Amino acid sequence: MLRLPEEAATAGIGRLASVRWSLLLVALMLSVVGAATVHSASAAMPVEYLPRQLAWLGAGLLVFLVTFSLDYQRLALLALPFYGVAMGLLVLVLFFGQVRGGSRSWFAVGGFGIQPSEVAKVATAILLAQYLAGLEGEYLRLREILIASGIVLLPIALLYFEPDLGGALMYVPLLVSMLLVAGIKKRYLVIAAATAVVVGALGWGLIHDYQRERVLTFLNPSRDPLGAGYQVRQSKIAVGSGELVGRGYMRGTQSQLRFLPARHTDFIFAVLAEEWGFLGVAFVLFLYGSFLFGCAEVAARARDRLGMLLAVGFFATFAFHVLWNTGMVVGLAPNSGIPLPFLSYGGSFMLFSFAATGLVLGVDFRRYVNR
Amino acid sequence: MASIVRTRERLETMATRVRVVSVLVGIALAAIAGTYWWVQGLHGPEYRELADNNRLRRFPIRAPRGIVFDRAGRPLAENVPSYNLLLEPDASNDVQKSLAFAGAILETDPEQLHRLLVAHRRERPVDPALVAENLTLAQVARFELAALEHPEFEIDVQQLRLYRHREQTAHVLGYLAEAGPQELQSGEYERGDMIGRRGIESQFERQLRGKDGDRVVVVDSRGRAVDEFPPVPPTPGTNLKLSIDLDLQQTAQRLLADSVGAVVALDPRDGQILALASSPSYDPNLFARRLRADDWKRLAENDLHPLQNRSLQNTQPPGSTFKPLIALAGLTEHVIDPNTTFYCSGAATFYGHSRRCWRPQGHGAVNLHAAIRNSCDVYFYNVGQRLGIERIARYARLFGLGELTGIDIPGEKPGLVPNEAWSRRVRKIPWYPGETISVAIGQGPILLTPLQLAVMTGAIATGRIETPHLLERPAPARPIQGISRASFAAVREGLQAVVDSGTGHAAFVPGLAIAGKTGTAQVVAQHVRTRAEDLSFETRDHAWFISFAPVEDPQLVVVVFIEHGGHGASAAAPVAKGMYEEFLKKRPDLRVAPPA
Repeated sequence: MLRLPEEAATAGIGRLASVRWSLLLVALMLSVVGAATVHSASAAMPVEYLPRQLAWLGAGLLVFLVTFSLDYQRLALLALPFYGVAMGLLVLVLFFGQVRGGSRSWFAVGGFGIQPSEVAKVATAILLAQYLAGLEGEYLRLREILIASGIVLLPIALLYFEPDLGGALMYVPLLVSMLLVAGIKKRYLVIAAATAVVVGALGWGLIHDYQRERVLTFLNPSRDPLGAGYQVRQSKIAVGSGELVGRGYMRGTQSQLRFLPARHTDFIFAVLAEEWGFLGVAFVLFLYGSFLFGCAEVAARARDRLGMLLAVGFFATFAFHVLWNTGMVVGLAPNSGIPLPFLSYGGSFMLFSFAATGLVLGVDFRRYVNR
Repeated sequence: MASIVRTRERLETMATRVRVVSVLVGIALAAIAGTYWWVQGLHGPEYRELADNNRLRRFPIRAPRGIVFDRAGRPLAENVPSYNLLLEPDASNDVQKSLAFAGAILETDPEQLHRLLVAHRRERPVDPALVAENLTLAQVARFELAALEHPEFEIDVQQLRLYRHREQTAHVLGYLAEAGPQELQSGEYERGDMIGRRGIESQFERQLRGKDGDRVVVVDSRGRAVDEFPPVPPTPGTNLKLSIDLDLQQTAQRLLADSVGAVVALDPRDGQILALASSPSYDPNLFARRLRADDWKRLAENDLHPLQNRSLQNTQPPGSTFKPLIALAGLTEHVIDPNTTFYCSGAATFYGHSRRCWRPQGHGAVNLHAAIRNSCDVYFYNVGQRLGIERIARYARLFGLGELTGIDIPGEKPGLVPNEAWSRRVRKIPWYPGETISVAIGQGPILLTPLQLAVMTGAIATGRIETPHLLERPAPARPIQGISRASFAAVREGLQAVVDSGTGHAAFVPGLAIAGKTGTAQVVAQHVRTRAEDLSFETRDHAWFISFAPVEDPQLVVVVFIEHGGHGASAAAPVAKGMYEEFLKKRPDLRVAPPA
């Protein structure tokens, strides 16, 4: 069908209006809460992280505009080379990256650090969605499941060497959610669950001592009150002491007196919980709920497999980040360096979050065209 | 077309799956919210307290314990600074390194320090851990010098109790030890608090202890103070001035040094204790420095029980020191008068049993004066027989025997004054008249402490019962009712003759009129006369000596008890002599020029 440019333009405006913009609005609200909390968390630190966080936020919005504008269908055509480049970066970082927090996972770009694993996550998501979208058949065949798993296992293996356990873990929801939605037979589901157990057992032997220590400490926090248990313990104290309405902005003793490690990054939710109490927690969880529900809605109303799978992959990734991080802060999950989307300080993950949001809304935007 | 429909159907199925997954995520999110409600809403106050404990650190400011002085104001128990080492592990970059550093200075195994640290952390997770006590000044200096590289260490200055006269005042003062489970449970003491045990330290714990103050500091996670509240100053403990005369106390303890026994010296005019000695003794400073296990073992397993204060805890038959009381009872009950004589042939038969006098060849005809001076047993057998056990017991109680004297030192024993009722109640047998004959010379089932005999001696000297005390006179004197001045005078006269020319001449001090009485308490009934020196230590008799001086104006009572000392005359009387000589050095006014 041939369309006139004018028509296309008017149709475009109508389409723009139908996009689920509340998703971006919620993301921005979360970012504002995040910036304010980062400011509070860094009050007792030598560096004020707020300007940097705002810079990353600005960069994130630019990335959002780019990924929103790109047609994911066309992007998918480039999925393989994009994936190849991303894997190349993951290999390069192993040799030329900077070590931070025990992992060789950063490239220094100017004064900022970039984690290629976040780029790789986008590339992997696109390639996986593209591969699964192109498959015929109601249910996936074993060979297809294995190929899909292979796409994800390569970056996981590379991240294992950095070592970045949290980063590697985040590929799992991507794979699982896309497989589930693409259609997987119950029997494979059972096999997959069994495989997960075996891999888990093997993984226990492969992970590093300090990671194992963290898991053991998670299971029994009083195991090592001087070391690994300290972080979780202090975090729980911070959360609990917030009680209902919190200690007040910038007045959390756990945060301001530096009892809380990694308070501007992985444990930022503890700062928020301490200073704003359960009311603040409930508000932010509500925002996350709306955001996740929005992502799921976009996925559900997508008109093609590729768009739907892409949106589902990002939905699952966001959901896993939110659940794991908020759970970790109250001691429900082991501490494995998983940041909170839009709240935690950190550039790469901020860029990833906005890129993913842009792609998801891009899927929504193009739901009447791509079918 | 068909393919489009099929695609639609597939998309619908997939959308359904998406919704299922999103519902699952929603449930998980609700569970997370529920957990936060649990932690913040339901258990918030507990965590808030933890947070406050995290940032508020309470440093107790120990109240200095009251100083104990002797009557002349010489310190007996005082406080000296002691240096303890605290470790704040959160302030250390590398705890292992810190421990190795401390271990090198303290010459201790860092492993041992680590165990202490972990144990302390488990108990009190937010306070700095006490890892070493009583550092030398050299060690303190080395930690202070390294304060910049090792901010995790802190020197804590505490007061340590010092008993500078060690063994010599141990039985008077007692010692300090760490509060036990019971005291901790009472809530009045905290772990690590020291509490007075035995002696004055225990008796006057409340006054001596004072009230700790505290300093509350707001700290950050590295233990650095960021703010401080106005401190609550401690209330120091009350200083105590005891009636103890350090010189007499030291003399008594020195004279006892090689024997097992006790010396009580008191002022009969008001009951003030001047010396309260017991041997063997112990070094109370060992306890203040947290007694080492082997030291405790040595004290606890010592057969001579150095922790026992024999002056008020050891009950023994008084032997012949009981005779003056029998004499007073006999005179008052008119069973004898001062001129009543009994014939002593060296033995006499009572209730079908032959009873020996201590002097095999006998004393011949003896009246009261001679009987006291020579301690004639046969004379007192007769008086005792005439009195009977009930009257003897009544007079014994009149003089404060068989009950607590009320001294302000804990642990006193009441001893035993037997009578018919006691025999039936406790022994479940009737009282044998023959036992009365034994009790009349202070043998048999009568048990008294040296302190009780001192109170009795004071009453014989003054006619009044005074409550013995070291701090405050707890009650006014209780005059002895019913005994005439003449009876007292007759007995005192006899007692003076004991020292002047009788069995207690070993206590004679030129220029001082001393009244006294020797005593020998049988440990094993001897059927064959044996010299004390020929008996083994355990079977040898206990030696007693009771005395007061000057006879006309009594100002000092001295009672000496030597366990397994043999005879009172040879073992106990010389100790009393030493006490009076020391007393005269302080009170030369009491010395009268010996007749030329």
